[in-house]
Amino acid sequence: MISRSLLIGLALVGLVGCDSSTSTSTTDAATSAPATASAPAAPAKPANPYAGKNVTYIVTTNAGGGYDAYARLIGKYLAKYLGAENVIIENIPGAGHIVGTNTLWKAKPDGMTIGTFNAGLIYNQILARDTMQFDLKQFTWIGKAAGEPRSIVVSKSCPVQSMQDLLNSKETIKFSSAGIGSASYTETKLLAEALKLPLEVLPGFDGTEGEMSMMRGEVCGQFGSTSSLQPFVNAGEGHFILTVGGTIEGVPNVWEFVKDGDDHAKGIISLVEALAKLGRVTAAPPGLPKELYEQLLAAYKSSLTDPAFLAEAEKLGYPIETGYGEDVHTLVVNALNQSPATVELLSQTMKIEEE
Amino acid sequence: MDISGIIGAFFTVVGSPYHMMLILIAVPVGLFFGSVPGLGGKLGIVMCIPFVFGMDAIPGAIFLLAMHSVVHTSGSIPSILFGVPGTGADAATIVDGFPMTQKGEAGRAMGASLGASGVGGIIGALFLLAIIPLLRPVILAFSPAEFFMLAIFGITFIAMLSGDSLIKGLLTGFFGLMLSFIELDPNTGAQRYTFDMLFLWDGINIITVILGLFAIPEMMALGVAGGSIASAGSKPAKMGYAGVIQGLLDVFRHWGLTIRTSIIGAFIGMVPGLGGDAASWLCYGHAIQCSKTPELFGKGCVEGVIAPETANNSKEGGSLLPTLFFAVPGSSGMALMLGAFIMLGIQPGPAMAITGMHLVYTLIWALVIANVLAVVMILAVVPLLGYLSYVRGNLLIPFVLILTFLGSYMGSKAWENIILLFMFGMLGYFLKKFRWPRPPFVIGLILGPIAEDSYHKAMSLWGPSFLLRPGTMFMIVLIVASIVYYIWRTRKQLSKPGVTFHVD
Repeated sequence: MISRSLLIGLALVGLVGCDSSTSTSTTDAATSAPATASAPAAPAKPANPYAGKNVTYIVTTNAGGGYDAYARLIGKYLAKYLGAENVIIENIPGAGHIVGTNTLWKAKPDGMTIGTFNAGLIYNQILARDTMQFDLKQFTWIGKAAGEPRSIVVSKSCPVQSMQDLLNSKETIKFSSAGIGSASYTETKLLAEALKLPLEVLPGFDGTEGEMSMMRGEVCGQFGSTSSLQPFVNAGEGHFILTVGGTIEGVPNVWEFVKDGDDHAKGIISLVEALAKLGRVTAAPPGLPKELYEQLLAAYKSSLTDPAFLAEAEKLGYPIETGYGEDVHTLVVNALNQSPATVELLSQTMKIEEE
Repeated sequence: MDISGIIGAFFTVVGSPYHMMLILIAVPVGLFFGSVPGLGGKLGIVMCIPFVFGMDAIPGAIFLLAMHSVVHTSGSIPSILFGVPGTGADAATIVDGFPMTQKGEAGRAMGASLGASGVGGIIGALFLLAIIPLLRPVILAFSPAEFFMLAIFGITFIAMLSGDSLIKGLLTGFFGLMLSFIELDPNTGAQRYTFDMLFLWDGINIITVILGLFAIPEMMALGVAGGSIASAGSKPAKMGYAGVIQGLLDVFRHWGLTIRTSIIGAFIGMVPGLGGDAASWLCYGHAIQCSKTPELFGKGCVEGVIAPETANNSKEGGSLLPTLFFAVPGSSGMALMLGAFIMLGIQPGPAMAITGMHLVYTLIWALVIANVLAVVMILAVVPLLGYLSYVRGNLLIPFVLILTFLGSYMGSKAWENIILLFMFGMLGYFLKKFRWPRPPFVIGLILGPIAEDSYHKAMSLWGPSFLLRPGTMFMIVLIVASIVYYIWRTRKQLSKPGVTFHVD
């Protein structure tokens, strides 16, 4: 109780404190607690439940970067199509997207709070990690703005220069990834298992540390999001040899290497591909009333197809590949329903030595 | 070198009223975030992102960079005047800056810090222009093995910052190291001392620790003693510009130190993996090592202000380079900046050297101009700031404490940090009361994670043989030489009667 009121009090002081320095068109809600975010009550029985209201868009990372950028861009148009006063971005970083997603889960399902987070949380849920208070199946899924295709990149100094080289390699090849427990590490291990790649995965390389390590010739390659590896390839430091969940000209797709009848491999690749297709998702808390859901969905669709929106995304270099409502929900549910064999494999690759 | 490109970029900045206006707005914003304890540059970027979102790439980047690069110019103000550091990097300035204020030399300390910040920022930027052609080999020469040794090198400075008792220094230093282990294990993902509390997953918030260790004890001590910070029996010190000018001249009097620490700062900033906070502490250690009168450090020695302040500003330029050319942030602030650049549609990465040199030169010029402007702006108000150290405690304390709580909460927006702040405040109070040195604690907390992370990587890449790499061997020799030199000098000092070290 005390901590709660302290928090709100501080948030208010915070708002006063920073208004002078960064007054912006989309009010920065970084400091406002969800309880204080909604605007004064609208006139009695308004035709539009959003008229005069502020919608909170939770981003589970700090300001800056992909999730934040998509949310801010979409938020601008969403406000227009909802007829809302403002869409306020609230950054709630921490614990690899879990803190923010927990907050979204607990928000009131009144249509005034939506959020975006890493679809990689699906892996954590399959393993039922107890720090997560949410069930991804029960979120009200609004849609996704873009996929996040994955690919394998190898550096130019690597002895392995194609998938054939990699499959035939007698020696183990060093790949970097983010820490154990991260989606990056998990997917690299899953891919290696499904395609029987002779990989040694070195964890702990966050951000672009992996690219630096490739340039120093320490590791050979990495499996990661195509968009973040693209600059490395553009600079001529390496090239793609495989893609998952997307297409790159002249680069083979992962399905070319999955043998017919190998259901184990099929299950794994489908899972990774589903996550790659999900990408930049948006959801609302569970139990959202139907009419509010339909209004949100319609506004989200209109925003993502608005020519001005598409032009702005194009200018900033954010790819757009949309999916909506039930389709996205189905993708999530399918990804979560894994065979016991895959779950077992996942728990092995994500084995975390708890104390 | 692309001289015409460099000059062209200069005119892109100064020739455009729009760009100059953005810098004029950004600099005071940055100074505000720097001077309020606990806010700092990272929060500045986070708060300004909504403002620049939707701007064109170059103006947006100029605004953010100009704002972020001057944070440490004003960050020294609360460090010097109240003994309250704004961020981990500013904490190094306290060690000598605050004693100067207590002696009534606030003006001189501020002058020295301003001069050092300005010169550091400019030398740092020029050094960058010069080193761009060599950037790739220099950055690629540092692998996790070398990072590990550099972090260990920094940790050995604990001895130098321990004051009159090496044992006390080592104990607080190791306590800081221990607390740095509270987080998800970077290598295995296991929870370590987090007790299932999510806010501890990303480690203990450094700003909270620093505010707790320094701000709360200083305010408590001031409240107990009564009066004002600079009143402790000293005669009314000279205020106004006389002291400030003396401080500015000090920067040039110690020109060798100024240039060396500027370059060391830019270099540390440039090598990704060490982080900005390390730069000011390493330079402070360097100043003690090179001084002919090391016994004066910690008691209000102006070199102790100059060294960390030059490094603070020069490292900003340094950390910009790997951020732009390799998309590898040189510091935690630059990690946010990288996110902001991507958001503005700038795609940092190796391709920058082919297509983005105009942007790089433009940003470097923005850095220089912002640094000059920041010094001029603060110089205009500095005599007034100096009087703050004569404000009665009971007027000052509530104000500083509110900012402290705010700063601690805003950084990560977890209310649990307020409780941590209380705990570290108590710890800091007793450390201060019983004269246990606090800087080693900060060093342990800052360098611990770097040492750990790079150790894991080096081990997984090469196994124990990473110690035999040429770079590592060179660093080992450097570390041993520095320890031997320290022991030799301490023994010489001890043989002189009546000389004691004291670091508060």
